[in-house]
Amino acid sequence: MKQFWTVLKFELGNYFKSKSFVVTTLLLMGMMIAAVTVPTFFMKGSSKADPAEDEKTTLAIMDEGGVFEDLTAFEESLGQYNWINCLDEKEIEKTIEDEKAEAGFVVKAQDSYVYIVKNQGLSDTYQTSFENALSMFYRDTRLREQGLDPEQIEALFATTIDSDTKILGKNSAQNYAYTYILVFIIYFLIIFYGQMIATSVTSEKSNRAIEILVTSVDSNSLIFGKVIAGAFSGVVQAVLIIGSAVGAYRFTRSVWSHKLDFLFKIPMNVWITYLIFGIFGYLLYAFIFGMLGSLVSKTEDISKSATPVTMIYLVSFFVAILGMNMPDSLMIKIASFIPFTSTNAMLVRVTMGTVSLVEVIISAVILVASCGVVGVLTAKVFRFGTLMYGNPIKLTHALRKIKEQ
Amino acid sequence: MKLEIKNLHKSFGDNEILHGISFSAKTGSALGLLGRNGAGKTTTIRILMKVFEANSGEVLLDGVPFSPQKGTIGYLPEERGLYPKKKVGEQMVYLAELRGMNARDAREAVKKWLKRLGVEEYENRRLETLSKGNQQKVQLAQTLVNDPSFIILDEPFSGLDPVNSQILKDVINEEIARGKLVIFSSHQMSYVEEFCQDIVILNHGNIVLSGDLRDIKREFGKNRLVLTAVNLSGEALSEKIREEYHDLVTVCGRWKDGVIMELNGSHRKTELLGMLADSDIDVENFGNYEPSLNDIFVESAGDEA
Repeated sequence: MKQFWTVLKFELGNYFKSKSFVVTTLLLMGMMIAAVTVPTFFMKGSSKADPAEDEKTTLAIMDEGGVFEDLTAFEESLGQYNWINCLDEKEIEKTIEDEKAEAGFVVKAQDSYVYIVKNQGLSDTYQTSFENALSMFYRDTRLREQGLDPEQIEALFATTIDSDTKILGKNSAQNYAYTYILVFIIYFLIIFYGQMIATSVTSEKSNRAIEILVTSVDSNSLIFGKVIAGAFSGVVQAVLIIGSAVGAYRFTRSVWSHKLDFLFKIPMNVWITYLIFGIFGYLLYAFIFGMLGSLVSKTEDISKSATPVTMIYLVSFFVAILGMNMPDSLMIKIASFIPFTSTNAMLVRVTMGTVSLVEVIISAVILVASCGVVGVLTAKVFRFGTLMYGNPIKLTHALRKIKEQ
Repeated sequence: MKLEIKNLHKSFGDNEILHGISFSAKTGSALGLLGRNGAGKTTTIRILMKVFEANSGEVLLDGVPFSPQKGTIGYLPEERGLYPKKKVGEQMVYLAELRGMNARDAREAVKKWLKRLGVEEYENRRLETLSKGNQQKVQLAQTLVNDPSFIILDEPFSGLDPVNSQILKDVINEEIARGKLVIFSSHQMSYVEEFCQDIVILNHGNIVLSGDLRDIKREFGKNRLVLTAVNLSGEALSEKIREEYHDLVTVCGRWKDGVIMELNGSHRKTELLGMLADSDIDVENFGNYEPSLNDIFVESAGDEA
């Protein structure tokens, strides 16, 4: 056991002291903090009551059809813009050409106008704003002609129906976001750290350090120390990165007006499921990557060797993503009991579907037992492949040989 | 202490690598484990260190089954390897801790051995930045860092210049003098001759020769004589002896300057000496033939060369 801790300490040091680990972690933490805090600067900006006049866009207008009795009143209804009154269409065009105005409108009638702009962008909203104001003006004028009070009509249309929703099951719409994030975290951990674990196992073969290691430490301590160190480093990195986002949100929560609370208010039962299924699912894949790493001698062979297990994980990932739209489907139910897919599938069922505690426990037991079996198998394969150099050994060949022994 | 290897058999699949090998070694001396590539030396060493289990046979220490404890064996493998990107001191402390030392003792031992081998200034340097010779010395330092009772050195001199070779020789001699059991595997026969009292020669997984090196040399030289002449080359001398003295001796080998002969039947070397004195051969050197270990190795293991 002491050897295991020695290997674990050394391997953790390899991760934590590596420049790439430190730089990546700090960079991602910085990005997370920025993602949460930077938008709040703009939120503060938009809440200013009276933005400076010079920040307003200037538009030009010409009442060709004599539509408005009081053009200024109409312009005030579009108070977010500064207005230049022009005498004819040519003047509007010149104003725009001279960049005194962004765009201009020639009003032909109450329901007809010409929009003049130099370059029409994708996010051009001037025309929409103008058209809304003009149609409201048209409506008001017509209603008044009929002897009706436009404000009363407006009030009737603006009536809101008071409603309340009583959810007996789960609010899938709200849980979707955090489920998606939790599934993605596991995805990144397995894909990135799986490769790193395999590389750490293979590199000792490629640099021949294994020759000395196998005579200094028992192979179980060595492989378990290496895999668990890799897995733990991944969890630490994930916690630091997510923690920085959560921390940043705590400080900016009021500025966000609690808008992101739904992302961070994850129920305890989901956390427990996530921890158990996440950790053991991650370990299961970590062991497999470690096993595959011990079957090759050169680090450049790892990606080829690891492709099948990466594909298996991708299937699990996509089953979960699809399952989020139908969390009670047969597919997701079956997947939630298969150890290779249960990490994601059971999480989806717990957060968005209907699942009994017994089902969760049965699936967890299957996953933990599988993790144990794969761990023992990894140690055996590692011992078998550890001093075999040269061409990559096929996993089936290794398993057959181990069975023969 | 006496280490005995008895009737070891080892197969990988259908391929039997060791066909029942037996030999012994004692503390305070060095044993040369020799053999051509693929003869089974590394497999034997790995069984000794419990990296593999033998299919049958046993390893005994003073008559009881040998189970190497952590740090009992210091091993310098032929395939050199440590962590190229880690600092020298850091990885040595790690290996010493794995073999049972506590962190403080490990750090002290690392400093001691790096100093003894003259590489103490590299303790905080990454291994890959050292020259091949200095990396080799770091490898040897890690072998000895736990003060092992059994030291197994596989080609320890490869890559070392004469000065570093001398340092290594001194260290090995010190360890032998301290009562350690050294198993020495090398193709550089001169080093084996220098250190080893006993040798074992393996060929295709069988022991073809083993025992005290002096006795072996004597046995190989028994009844054999060596002759060189001032006025004749080895070839001419060989020709002349075959023609004129074939009743007395048989030429069993020659080199550029002389020949090796074996006395026939019950003839004695004084008879040959008398005849040579009367001949026109200007004798330069005449005496008992003492084979080099290289000759013995080639003769014992060179069957398919």
